[in-house]
Amino acid sequence: MQIPQDLIDTAKLKLKSVQSEAEFFQLRSQYLGKKSFVISSFAELKSLDPNSKVAAAKELNILKSKLNQLFEVALEGIQAKTDVSLLDTTLPADPYFVGVEHPISKVAERVISYFSTLNYQVFSGNEIETDFYNFEALNFPENHPARQMHDTFYLKSKSKSEYLLRTHTSNSQIHSMLREPLPLYMLSPGRVYRCDSDTTHLPMFTQIEGLVVDQDVTFGDLKGVIINFLEDFFDEKMEVRFRPSYFPFTEPSAEVDIKFGNNGWLEVLGCGMVHPNVLKGCNIDTKKYRGFAFGMGIERLAMLRYGVQDIREFYSSNLDFLNQFSS
Amino acid sequence: MKVQYSYLKNFLTTTKPIAKLADAFTKVGFECEVDGSSIDFDITPNRGDALSLRGLQREYDALQSKKLKDTLPHKKLKFKKDKTVINKIDKTGCGNYHLMTIAGISSIKNLDVKKRAFLSAAGIPLISPLVDLGNYVMLEIGSPMHVFDLDLLDLPINILFQSNNEPFQIIGGDLKNLESSSLTIQDQQGVQAVAGIIGGEKTSVSKNTNNIAVEAAFFYPDKIVNEARKYGLATDASHRFERGVDPTIQKKALERFIFLLDDIAEYDSVKCFEGDSQTVKSNVVPLSIERFNQFSGLTLTRKTISSLLQNLGFSLNSSNKKNLSFSAPSHRFDISLEEDLYEEILRCYGYDKIPVNKPKPGPIPLKNNISIESELKTGLVFGGFTELMHMPFVSEENFMKLNSKTKKPAQLLNPINENEPMMRGSLFEGLFSAINLNVKKGHLSLKVFESGNVFHKSGNDFVQHGHISGIVYYHEPQKRWDSTVIPYDFYSFKAELYKLLQTLGVDNLRLEPNSDNRVFNLNSMVIFSGKKAIGALGEIDLAVTQKLIKNTAFGFELYPEEILRRSKTIELKPISKFPSSTRDINILISKSHTYQMVEKTLNAGSISFLNNFVLVNTFEGKGIPDGLISMTLSFTFQSSEKSLKDSEINDSMTNVLRVLKKSLGADIRS
Repeated sequence: MQIPQDLIDTAKLKLKSVQSEAEFFQLRSQYLGKKSFVISSFAELKSLDPNSKVAAAKELNILKSKLNQLFEVALEGIQAKTDVSLLDTTLPADPYFVGVEHPISKVAERVISYFSTLNYQVFSGNEIETDFYNFEALNFPENHPARQMHDTFYLKSKSKSEYLLRTHTSNSQIHSMLREPLPLYMLSPGRVYRCDSDTTHLPMFTQIEGLVVDQDVTFGDLKGVIINFLEDFFDEKMEVRFRPSYFPFTEPSAEVDIKFGNNGWLEVLGCGMVHPNVLKGCNIDTKKYRGFAFGMGIERLAMLRYGVQDIREFYSSNLDFLNQFSS
Repeated sequence: MKVQYSYLKNFLTTTKPIAKLADAFTKVGFECEVDGSSIDFDITPNRGDALSLRGLQREYDALQSKKLKDTLPHKKLKFKKDKTVINKIDKTGCGNYHLMTIAGISSIKNLDVKKRAFLSAAGIPLISPLVDLGNYVMLEIGSPMHVFDLDLLDLPINILFQSNNEPFQIIGGDLKNLESSSLTIQDQQGVQAVAGIIGGEKTSVSKNTNNIAVEAAFFYPDKIVNEARKYGLATDASHRFERGVDPTIQKKALERFIFLLDDIAEYDSVKCFEGDSQTVKSNVVPLSIERFNQFSGLTLTRKTISSLLQNLGFSLNSSNKKNLSFSAPSHRFDISLEEDLYEEILRCYGYDKIPVNKPKPGPIPLKNNISIESELKTGLVFGGFTELMHMPFVSEENFMKLNSKTKKPAQLLNPINENEPMMRGSLFEGLFSAINLNVKKGHLSLKVFESGNVFHKSGNDFVQHGHISGIVYYHEPQKRWDSTVIPYDFYSFKAELYKLLQTLGVDNLRLEPNSDNRVFNLNSMVIFSGKKAIGALGEIDLAVTQKLIKNTAFGFELYPEEILRRSKTIELKPISKFPSSTRDINILISKSHTYQMVEKTLNAGSISFLNNFVLVNTFEGKGIPDGLISMTLSFTFQSSEKSLKDSEINDSMTNVLRVLKKSLGADIRS
């Protein structure tokens, strides 16, 4: 008796295209019904000689059992498929909330993430601060006109130290230089306050301070890290200009301007080489160490990056505004 | 300082268009912008010397590598000392004092149109020709001047610190009570001017003035700074004196004044007097060429360095191959250190020529940079919360409402809004108003949070703490399109917080009923990590929301600084190979007992083989006696050593009932 070799394979193939139970049973009877090859072959066994008969019977039985198993498994699959009650899967999902990080946080995270790759450590700082850390240690002597550039909020207190709301995150420079071992590569984000409010100024805003104190630090290192950061932040090569400026705690000092979009020069941050008086005040040997520092306004970077026109939007709690930052 | 472009251009003898000229100054550190036909200079406080045409010219010429041109046309004057005119000078406040008396002035004309336009553009009001001329010379040369009516002065003049608090009438008529820190110009009748700030009404020039005394002096910056502010004043003179006026230009200013007076008036005679003066020593500053080049990353030669500094008026004091030293010019108060010279060299050489180095990384830090606060924020954002930020200023009333009575507020002396003088002690106020605002705008379900510092006073000092607070608020229940209500209640909210804090890995997390909180009603809990409170959650007390929130809102606050995380080494427990068995029981228990008491009793009951238990169901009402509640609990038993026999499980269940009955009076519900 000649048993087709590909019987099982063709059965498998045909089962794959079966869609309903009816189709299944039709196919099953083709392979295991009375008229099927396997079942009708059993009838033909009689005509064989005893030796061949035993061998053929064995072979047919194996084949039958393989087919039975194949069809059994397939039936379960088909039944499972057809048992499903069909949904309109295109109906809306249950109501859900999309979480949104505040654009100021987003920008701060972006800045932190760049400097983290350069191993800058992140420290948080005090918002209520003494005159010493906010001014004196940063080389703003008492009665210095530079203090007038900072419209400072003062706190009611009977304490000997004069308390104020920090006017910049530069106070973190002093805390970290006094506390941390050298070399120091640090970043300090936080809120700062100026007693000033109009359409372009808020009494509270966000800054990120950066400070490096190491041996052989040069102005060229400062330029390198600032330019690289700005190109990373704005995702494009851009013209960057360093121009001389004045901060009591850096010497030389620079303002950094960029050309971004269709604007002229836009001021984005202030920086400079740490003033020797500041280093000395923090017990750092200025013969051995030098430093550079930089500080940037996050609102300003966020406005440029996202094209926000009115700085007050950031603190308006307006979900129609904030929800647009969900990505 | 606003300077008319046409005037500046002629003064500098340049043809640069306005925008290019402004850009040239900006590039070397004199930030300015074009404002119509003027350039508005934002001169930094260290560069008082640039607050004049002459000062700007000095910078401009240096940058063009030109030597500064000779002085302006003037009339040479002779000054003499005369105690009947200038008598006592307090030398701690006044470095030099000059007075030029001009008698018999007549036929006074206005300054020419150009000069008047120049003054007006600079924002200096035109008062009278003689005063205007003084102001003009100040803008030209940089030395503030004051013009007295000579007939009203009772000479000699003394320059002394004020000794009594006498009221003084300043020009314009206002009375100021002078403080002892103020240096004053006094005649024999009393104070006639506050040095370097403003003159007095009594001796000011008027239409009838024929004889004048013009003052040009040098007052030390540290004696002038903040004085004007004390009297609520900010004058062009005080602005210059507190930043430093060149102590060598006073005579030149008077010589220029008398030269220009010829154009607008006739006069009979001029006499010039000077008091005893102090010579202001110029700073000599050393400079190592090698150190400079290491500092900047440049390789400038001794010659280049010298010539850049000399163009700016520095004079070379000593020089060898490696080291130089320079004397700073008399107008540069800001130069005392080697680094100050570096700035001058780099500024003139050009910051843009300094090489750009590749960013250098610091040493690999030992600590992970990602804070608990930022992980919590990320967790909340992934949980569907929107982050908000608010100004931290609050009213006293609101501070009191949201903080316990023991918390003293941090109060500002000079708030922006006098109704909000306190620093916030809680983040909830901002969140409440945010919810109200957004519900009004049609956002009917909200999940919001804020992360920031809160403040209070502690003794004489202040403390700040980081908080993260949030609110979940459904103005209306949420429904699906098939009308299925999606429930959200206290327990859903509690689950959100558990999910967040357990995912973060808070060590030993547990919640306890909260009895003392100003923000929540009685349905609230304190969140603990071990023994430390790390936050609270609960239903917002609608009494504190100023009616901003009308329905039940759920809130939480977390104190990230207090949160400890489980240690990173994880102790794995062996997993039992033997089957577990589950038994349910139904108990009746007094409603005065909380579920937490049931939990604690069972955990403390040393029940053998008890793996865990869960509350399956609670029921009260029909068939349950008043004051009682039915609880169905499901217990799972398992041993790590053997398959448990029925009798062993039965023994444990008997124990369960025994401890519940003994401790809480619970009975099995039949």
